Amino acid sequence: MSDSLSADRLTCILCPVGCELEVRRSERGLDVQGHRCEKGIGFATEEVLYPKRNLATSVPIEGSETRLVSVRLSDRVPREMIFPILREIAKLRPVAPVRRGQVLIANVLGTGVDVMATRTVG
Amino acid sequence: MDGIETRGVVVIGGGPAGLAAALGAKRAGAEDVLLIEREQRLGGILNQCIHDGFGLFLYGESISGPEYAERLAEEAAREGIRAETGAMVLDLGPDRLLRVNARSGYRIIKASSVVLAMGCRERTREMIEIPGTRPAGIFTAGSAQNLVNLQNVRIGTEAAILGSGDIGLIMARRLTFEGIAVKGVFELMPWTNGLERNVRQCLMDFGIPLELSTTVVEVKGRDRVESVVVAAVDGDLKPVPGSEREVRCDTLLLSVGLIPENELSKRAGVELSPVTGGAVVDETRMTSVPGIFSCGNVLHIHDVADFASHEGFEAGAAAARFARGELPSVGTIRVIPGLNVRYGLPQSLRPGTSGAELNFRVTRPLRGCRVTVTGRSSGKVYFRKKYGRLLPSELQKIRIRPPVDEDIEVECHE
Repeated sequence: MSDSLSADRLTCILCPVGCELEVRRSERGLDVQGHRCEKGIGFATEEVLYPKRNLATSVPIEGSETRLVSVRLSDRVPREMIFPILREIAKLRPVAPVRRGQVLIANVLGTGVDVMATRTVG
Repeated sequence: MDGIETRGVVVIGGGPAGLAAALGAKRAGAEDVLLIEREQRLGGILNQCIHDGFGLFLYGESISGPEYAERLAEEAAREGIRAETGAMVLDLGPDRLLRVNARSGYRIIKASSVVLAMGCRERTREMIEIPGTRPAGIFTAGSAQNLVNLQNVRIGTEAAILGSGDIGLIMARRLTFEGIAVKGVFELMPWTNGLERNVRQCLMDFGIPLELSTTVVEVKGRDRVESVVVAAVDGDLKPVPGSEREVRCDTLLLSVGLIPENELSKRAGVELSPVTGGAVVDETRMTSVPGIFSCGNVLHIHDVADFASHEGFEAGAAAARFARGELPSVGTIRVIPGLNVRYGLPQSLRPGTSGAELNFRVTRPLRGCRVTVTGRSSGKVYFRKKYGRLLPSELQKIRIRPPVDEDIEVECHE
């Protein structure tokens, strides 16, 4: 994950116009160009300074013909938490039955976000 | 006829389009809706798409493929739709006679209307003719996704990905999560075929290189892939001599396009479009064969499952109307793809149709463009809108509000 970009190009995805933004870091903060409305600045600031992501993987499940149960996070987390959370998820060995939406790790690594099953395994 | 089961609306395929079609038919008043799915579990490709980003249009939140599938399947069960899994349609006739191999055995079904929702298949190495040896370690992106996400198979240690379709991009991230080093994504065209957000969240986040105008010209290795040779391509997409470079890897993923799966449609005599690979339809999604409808990826390739479902709801509702005898003819007004437009869908409209939704895809990335829909004989402008930019990877949807009584042409002026 490289965060060392001094200039970044991104497409705003908040509406179908899809402004192409150019974001430069300076000592005064971020300089955003190319936005046709103010929402573009907020979008660019979060995406460049504090990008957040969801993540999905699957873990082996015991007590069922089904081999794996898929999981995701209940909300997005700071991007740098992806690999630490994946290591926590790798320790999971849930036992069937598991239902969709069931929390498998609450408040994972203190992020305030849960790891939840995304399918039902009977 | 003796021994022939009669049904109202029969939907073939239980993925995002088929489930929605069954629901659409039921909600439009069809009494007897039968959904036939070949796999043991409903949901189709959604079941292996464990990443989030589904449901933004249908449910107003970002959920994963399996959740989306289960929700739709639960709605279908709640609304009394009969779904048969582990059942395969072997043949479909223009008279809407289906030959089905089900768990209970072989049987013949006569349907009042049929909705095709069989989805698509991936283009393979053979179809793009990569030279070299035939070792193990070459997967289509979707089959790799199935092995990793559903079957707990570790498919390799170092991977290269040819093609920047969305499944390839999603798999680049997925392999990274599984500890498999992704050496690069190589794309023949000078632009990516995937969605912008996937390039950002699946490649850039992890420093995975995306090399445009580049292709794989050779696969090396005897029993297992040992490396692939990549080369730059020129404006005619031909490899540039001297630009070859060897990339060490034991796995090659192909994300080089999807093809609507229309074997049954052909058996039924449904007219297919050489551009989309799917049926030619009118605004109700009825094909050239009366009473046979098409939706989802079997009709044309969608970038978002929600849009496949949206099409399913509409096709199912129309199929219910046909089953009641309310939809006699097919569209006769042509929708013609013009400047910079690869295809428009539906390809025809019924005369006098107003408020028709039109899907289109552009031929190449366009900036600062104006989309117009004009009448072929009158020159009347039915639709006009400005776009910051349009990409071939993004299906566009517009609505033609005025009633249309002449052939119309869709154009994108840059």
